[in-house]
Amino acid sequence: MNTEMILKNKKIPADAMPIAEQLAGDGERVLFAIVGDLSLKGKYADTVIFFTETALVAYDGVPGESVRYAYADMEEVVSKRMYGNATLSAKMKDGRRRVFFRYTYAVAALCDAAALFVSHVRDGQDLQEELAIMAVTFERALSVCPKCGRTLLHPGAECIMCRSKKKIIKKLYKYIQPQMPMIILCIFLSLFTTFMALVPPTITGFIVDSVFGGGETQYAVFAGIQQWLGNDTHRLLLTMILCLLFTYILQYGVGIIRAYLMRTVGDRAVADLRNDIYRKAQYLPMKFYDKTSTGSVINRIAGDSNTLQTFMLRITQEAVVHFFQMIGIIVIMLALNPSLTLLSLFPIPIIVILTRIFSLKIRPYYRRIWRRWSSVFATLADTIPCVKVIKSFTGEKRSAERFEEKNAEWLSMDLRLGKIATAFPQCVSFFVTCGSLIIWAVGGTNVINGVGGYSAGLIVSFISYASMFYNPVTFFANLSDSFQGALASTEKILDILEAEPETQSESHVVPDKLQGKIEFLHVGFSFDRTKKVLDDVTLTIQPGEVVGIVGTTGSGKSTLINLLMRFYDGYSGEILVDGHNIKNFDLSAYRSQIGYVQQEPMMFSDTIFRNIAYSNPDATIEDVIHAADVANAHGFIVRQPDAYDTMLGERGVGVSGGEKQRLSIARAVLLDPSILIFDEATAAVDSETEHLIQEAIDRLIAGKTTLMIAHRLSTLRRANRIIVVDQGRVIENGTPEELMALKGKYYKLVQIQSMTQEAEAMREEENF
Amino acid sequence: MERIYLTASDRVEKFENNLVTVHFADGSVMEGLEPRRLFPVSLLDKYITLLDSEGVEKCVIRALAELPQESRAVLQGALDDYSLVPHITRILESVEKYGTLRWTVETDRGIKSFDIRNRNHDIRVNRDGSIRVRDADDNRYIIEDYHTLDNRSRKALLADL
Repeated sequence: MNTEMILKNKKIPADAMPIAEQLAGDGERVLFAIVGDLSLKGKYADTVIFFTETALVAYDGVPGESVRYAYADMEEVVSKRMYGNATLSAKMKDGRRRVFFRYTYAVAALCDAAALFVSHVRDGQDLQEELAIMAVTFERALSVCPKCGRTLLHPGAECIMCRSKKKIIKKLYKYIQPQMPMIILCIFLSLFTTFMALVPPTITGFIVDSVFGGGETQYAVFAGIQQWLGNDTHRLLLTMILCLLFTYILQYGVGIIRAYLMRTVGDRAVADLRNDIYRKAQYLPMKFYDKTSTGSVINRIAGDSNTLQTFMLRITQEAVVHFFQMIGIIVIMLALNPSLTLLSLFPIPIIVILTRIFSLKIRPYYRRIWRRWSSVFATLADTIPCVKVIKSFTGEKRSAERFEEKNAEWLSMDLRLGKIATAFPQCVSFFVTCGSLIIWAVGGTNVINGVGGYSAGLIVSFISYASMFYNPVTFFANLSDSFQGALASTEKILDILEAEPETQSESHVVPDKLQGKIEFLHVGFSFDRTKKVLDDVTLTIQPGEVVGIVGTTGSGKSTLINLLMRFYDGYSGEILVDGHNIKNFDLSAYRSQIGYVQQEPMMFSDTIFRNIAYSNPDATIEDVIHAADVANAHGFIVRQPDAYDTMLGERGVGVSGGEKQRLSIARAVLLDPSILIFDEATAAVDSETEHLIQEAIDRLIAGKTTLMIAHRLSTLRRANRIIVVDQGRVIENGTPEELMALKGKYYKLVQIQSMTQEAEAMREEENF
Repeated sequence: MERIYLTASDRVEKFENNLVTVHFADGSVMEGLEPRRLFPVSLLDKYITLLDSEGVEKCVIRALAELPQESRAVLQGALDDYSLVPHITRILESVEKYGTLRWTVETDRGIKSFDIRNRNHDIRVNRDGSIRVRDADDNRYIIEDYHTLDNRSRKALLADL
């Protein structure tokens, strides 16, 4: 038998192979195998547990020994997580509990799934379906990077840590490419400024040697000028100064243009990138936002693209200039005097090594400071929104102290960094200066001794060149740090750019006006595919029906809605609207037929008018006013000083929760959808507002298929059908009267609520 | 949910103060209505609602321009009475202290000093290019066209935009 074919998490150890072979020999098909890491006695060992269609066979690492248990003999199979290890055991039909597999948490997820598999198969559930669930679990367990072992985002994804850096740069190049002509122009300008920067030391050398010292010059240009001015030293000096001035003007003038162009290039590239990230973020599925905090997405769009901007500016502006400068200086220095060049290069290795040591030493500090800063920030973000809680428990002093504590930690760490960070540039300057001392010492001695080729001017030019040379050196020594930072940011950004967008199906049926018939056919759903949130839900809702969905928290009511809205697509079974599978509809066209009113209405910080018109930007003013009126919102809008022009989310604008809810209903009215969904729309408002909202809802739902999730059963008085959901299953389904007669869960809920309502009414009477 | 929109054949007369009386073409009359703009910032001459003393909407005017001259003048007067939005013609002084901006301005209604709390929210450019200013007490001012301001005012303003 070919063991390659078996579903497994690791290569099956050779000692266990005979078992597999024997099973195959007996005609049993091994479905999957889990390679464990602990023996039953708790020692590390290569153990295996095989699962066939009817039994499991455990091998505990002792060659030749294995135990076999038939699923049919088991009463209950449990994967029990203990501390640092877990066991797979079963309560047998004979009443004894058998532990047959022990393992660390590394394979616990697989064994959890296996336990479910065994009990489901024993109960006679579909083998293929259960096997498919196992396959997914395996796939997930195996989706680690083969290089570094980190868990991947999704199976088959490229590991972010191990992704080749070249590829990242390539991705970034896409944003730089449109700017290429400008970049090339800038490089030419850089060449020019670099060349200009190299002129002055030669001139100063000439001034020292020929103007002051009256010596011969080796440059034909200078000799020509000298001759032309007739050796008048004053005029010669003045001419040279003018030459210097002219060079400086050219150098810095062109420098301004180049710097401006470069900045434009960098800014444009980053703006493009930021646009792309934001657009992409709009189309990411809800699943992505479940896993990634909104804060981190925002940070990637705002923060990380800024880091990149800084880096791009650095690399495009400074790196180019520094590079050419370095080359230019070395060439000139070598031409002037090769031996002095070697001498002046002497401190460079020291500087490079120092810079490396420094940056290695300083990096952890930055990380530590960052961590302390983020804890300061977290304190802020935690406490400011909760200021009501703080005040009500008189925790002002405590929270101030907590903040001070965090801030003090940040301060002390920052000061520690300060000590090193300020000392380093000084040290570098010191070594640079020492480098010039060597030139003075050796070169100067040679000048005094009259060694051929050495003059005072040469020494002066040399020292200027040498000091110019150290700038690019320290720059490049430090570049790798900002390169690392930029890479980290790029990776985080690419994480978004390369994430899978919401799945669009092949066929894009654009629905006309939907009738609103909704069918759930054997729908099952699970967020992690191990625990089912919805289990085999089948129900049909006729057009125009008003359906109340009732159930305890976590029963799966909201998931029903989430699936219908196509926020999640990974469910089994089918959801049909008007007889079409909703996965075949064009996503945006489909969603635009559904009006969705949430428990906590979200308003953009824009005017009331534009907030309502958000659902239909083409609506006329009168449509919007009418929608507001239907939603019982017009009245309070008119009372605002700025009426429809009122900016929401601003100081002084008191729009209450109930009013916001009515605005969001107005949105739904304006959309004129075929299907309406209310997700606890009146859960957070008082009874009077509830009445206003109810009135609005009643007007809105006329003739439309309506789904209402509600805790308060009073909200559901208009419902002509109630669905009771419990633990992912529809347990009751019928008219309110039928369900009351059934005396089931709905009956109980009604009983409980009418009791509390009576109590509430009594309390209200007492108070008013 | 039917809304009554005034037509050109309906007449609006002054009632008292900023209140008006509407004579409908069919002979019915509504007294003591208060005209208010539904879009006091973005649409000054359109969508005027008329509220009774309880604040309940009685009818709506689509556009002032649709009404006869006399009715229009009455409504315009009533609306102007209701809302006071001085036009800033000159910014005499702009001082910032502790994050609050204090402006002294010359308006079509005289000289006034006020505080602006949040320059981002309280100084806004409208779509038509006019600039709306809100002070710490929730009073509103408007700068119709900042190009017509003198240099000094413009500088003071641009520093905050």
